Order: sequence, then structure tokens, then C-alpha cells
Amino acid sequence: MMRRGLQVAARLSHHGALPGGPYILPTFSPASAFGSSMDSMVSRFCQEKTDLKNYALPNASWCPDMLNLYHKFLEKTKADGWIRLPSFKSNRNHIQELKLPLVLTVSSDKSDCHIFTRCTETEGQSYEYVIFFHPSKKKSVCLFQPGPYLEGPPGFAHGGSLAAMIDETVSKTAYLAGEGLFTLNLNIRFKNLIRMGSLAVLNVGVEKVEDQKLYIPCVAQSTDQQTIYTKASGTFLQLQLEEDSSQYYTLCLQESLLPTALPTWDTLQSSGGCPGSNR
Amino acid sequence: MLRSCTAALRTLRALRGRREGASPAARDPVLVRRWFSTEKVIPKDYALPNPSWSKDLRLLFDQFMKKCEDGSWERLPSYKNSKLVKEQLSQAQLFTRGYEDGLGFEYVIFYNDDEKRTVCLFQGGPYLQGVPGFLHGGAIATMIDATVGMCAAIPGGIVMTANLNINFKRPIPLCSVVVINSQLDKIEGRKFFLSCTVRSVDEKILYSEATGLFIKLDPEKSLI
Repeated sequence: MMRRGLQVAARLSHHGALPGGPYILPTFSPASAFGSSMDSMVSRFCQEKTDLKNYALPNASWCPDMLNLYHKFLEKTKADGWIRLPSFKSNRNHIQELKLPLVLTVSSDKSDCHIFTRCTETEGQSYEYVIFFHPSKKKSVCLFQPGPYLEGPPGFAHGGSLAAMIDETVSKTAYLAGEGLFTLNLNIRFKNLIRMGSLAVLNVGVEKVEDQKLYIPCVAQSTDQQTIYTKASGTFLQLQLEEDSSQYYTLCLQESLLPTALPTWDTLQSSGGCPGSNR
Repeated sequence: MLRSCTAALRTLRALRGRREGASPAARDPVLVRRWFSTEKVIPKDYALPNPSWSKDLRLLFDQFMKKCEDGSWERLPSYKNSKLVKEQLSQAQLFTRGYEDGLGFEYVIFYNDDEKRTVCLFQGGPYLQGVPGFLHGGAIATMIDATVGMCAAIPGGIVMTANLNINFKRPIPLCSVVVINSQLDKIEGRKFFLSCTVRSVDEKILYSEATGLFIKLDPEKSLI
């Protein structure tokens, strides 16, 4: 595997990912995002030999629609090139031994961080979902069943919870299909409400990759495809993760290029509150 | 968004009560709660400081409470269940208030009627993680939806999100405090157009910008 170290790279174009300050980010080499590199990304993401709890498995709270579609897609994983993605408590579990090549320090000493969409242990209470990913077609299907904790209008899912599910599905697709890491834009048009406890099917696919950005539309609809719940699109910034033998993230950007709009780095450094930078 | 509208309507009644020259006693949160609660249990107002609130959040809260003294700003109370929901599904609860103190969403929303503006002071906890060390985009979207929605619901009544367009400029570190500022830009019939920014406490960092379109529901029609 090609080692991707941090290099001084071409600046992002002015309409690029992070306006408000010049960032020097590692050169992104598109070739590494495809082919065998994607396979290794997917297998690292899936962590097949792990004791970690996988939340994306059927449980008693799943409605019949969800179970049926789940089994249908499981069949497709045998021959049609689909992969069932596991879902661990934290995204950190999905990227073990990798680190972010960014200037931002993070409060990496918190071992009790949960990914937003896996917030409760009780089955059926909030987000019940599983994502199937197709590497060569660069698309995903998410089966999503919102629970009572996600209520907005009485009996229906909160718009915010659906926005979160869309962001999550599109994020995972962006990451595996093209090393997309941060959401740049999310545009959601809400058409119909999702009844709590019912199934919503999210269809997501990478439309194009341009200027270090992935463009990914998403449509959420009912099981019978008769009702469209939302039409959305997400734009993601491509950023390669680096090999890292330590658990913690490190700083690696030239000081002279630190945008003033990121005082958190300085503040954390001076207050000694960033364990990541000292390791 | 109906739930936040129910909450908004309750708040609206409280606001009107104050404007119509209600006595200072009517501002007492205990009295306001008793007015709306037909049960003996007084619901907890989550939009008040608790031990998990950071120094930044408390300072900002105090600043805005000072602004409330002349009546130009109002703090919006925030409950886990609305009476309406309790009758229908006992497990249901306001999405953003389902976490233990400090783990999820810690926030308080203030409203300025003259400016048609809501300001949300938000501290996102470790259970809202996306990219390790940062807030999940969906959690940010949730709070933007809540803040912008409230900004539409107070003048508009029962409204629903039709469109949300969010530009994420910078990732928000987990456990930091941000200020979500939402403004009602214009009303066209039943359409409410709003815009919103998410900034750091000192306003130097712009984390996100968003626009939202909310539709005032037609009371004649059903939800689906």
C-alpha cells in the first residue's frame, strides 16, 4: 500500500472546501481512491475480526418491512456485489490506526464518545438502521426506522432526525466511495412525513467527483416507493486519512498558514487542554 | 416541527401575558408551568443551566438573561414532553432532550420579537460525534432546524420544515459552545423564509450558514 504522508500541496481553489482562510492540505491523489485501495478501505472500515458490538443487525424492534428488505439485501451481498456495513458505537472504531491530517486538535481523551446515530442501547427507541454499500456502483441503500425518541410532529419523525440519517448515510458512502470526510453542504427538501416505527428507504449514489469534492444525491421513500419523504443532496470534502500507530490525532500544518479563524487550536495548546498534540 | 410549535404556542401565550402588563409574578417559571400543566408533576425546564454547562455557555446565558430584563428578549422554556404527546405515545419525547446532562444537546433559545430573531446557545456533547472529535453534521442540522423552526413558529404558529440548506464551513469541535443565530427574512403567504449562522462564542469563527423555508400549516388539512 502506498504510504500517504503529509505534503505541502496546492491550495484548494477559492471556491473549495473551507473558505474563510487558506488551508494547505495534503495532495489528494485520486488514483488511490479506487480499485484495490477501496477494497482495503472497506475491509478496514468493516473490521471483520472484532468484538465490537455491531448495531446494524436485526432486533425485535424492527418492523416486518425492514426485516424483509434486510434479508433481500443480505441475499444480494452473496453475489451482486453489495456489502452490509457494520455500525459501531463510534466512528473511531471504523478508522482504527488511521488519523486525520488536519490542523485541528480534538478532545481525543474522551473514550465515551458515541456516534450521534447510535445514542441509546434500548432497541427501537431512536435510530434503527442498516446501510448496504455497493463499491463498484458507488451507491448505498439505508433502511431506516425512526423510534419514539425521534418524534417531531406527534406520531412522525422529527425533521432533524431525518437530516441526521441522510447525513450519516451520505457520509459513509462518501467515505468508502471516495474518501469523503467532512460534510460541506447538505440540502434537504422535505416532501412528506415519516410515520414513527415505519420504514424509510434512503437511496444514495455518488453523482460526480470534482475539485476534491464529492456530490451525492439522496432520495428517501417508502417501502413501496409510492411516497417520497425527502429529496436531498450532500457535498463532501475529500481528505485522506494517514497511517497512525498511536491512538491520538496529531497536528501537522505549517504555523504560518494557520488561519486566524481557528483560535481553538491556539487556545487548546496554551491551556494544555489538547492531549492529542503531546502524543 | 409540530412539537416545537406546541412549545412555541405555549411560550407565545406566556409572552403575550407579559406584554399585556402581567405582574412580575407571572414571569415566575413555576406559575407559567402550572398554567399549562394539568398534572401534579411540574415538567422540568431544560433550558436552564446544569452542572454540565461549560463556563462559556454559562457566561453567554447570563449575558442573554440580562438582555431579557428590558423585555426585548425572552428565554424560551424547553420541556421533554408536551401534554399533547403524552396522550398519544408515552415513550415519545422531544428528540433533543433525551440525553443525560452534558452527553447530548445542551441548549437554550432566546427570542427577540422586534427583530424576529432567535438565538440558540448550544453545547454539543460526546454522544453527538461524527468524525472523531467533531460534532456530527446531523446534530448540527438538528439544532439549526430547531432554532430556525422556532423563529418561524413564534410568529407563524404551526409550521413545518419544507427545505433546509446548510453550508458547513468548518467542523465544530465536540463539547464546544456555538451560537446559532436565526432571522426571519420574509413571509410570502404561508411561506416563511429564514436564514441562520452558526458562530463561535466570540463570533470570530463562522462554522455554518443555512437557509430554511418553513410552511405554515393549513388548519383545514390533515398532516399527511
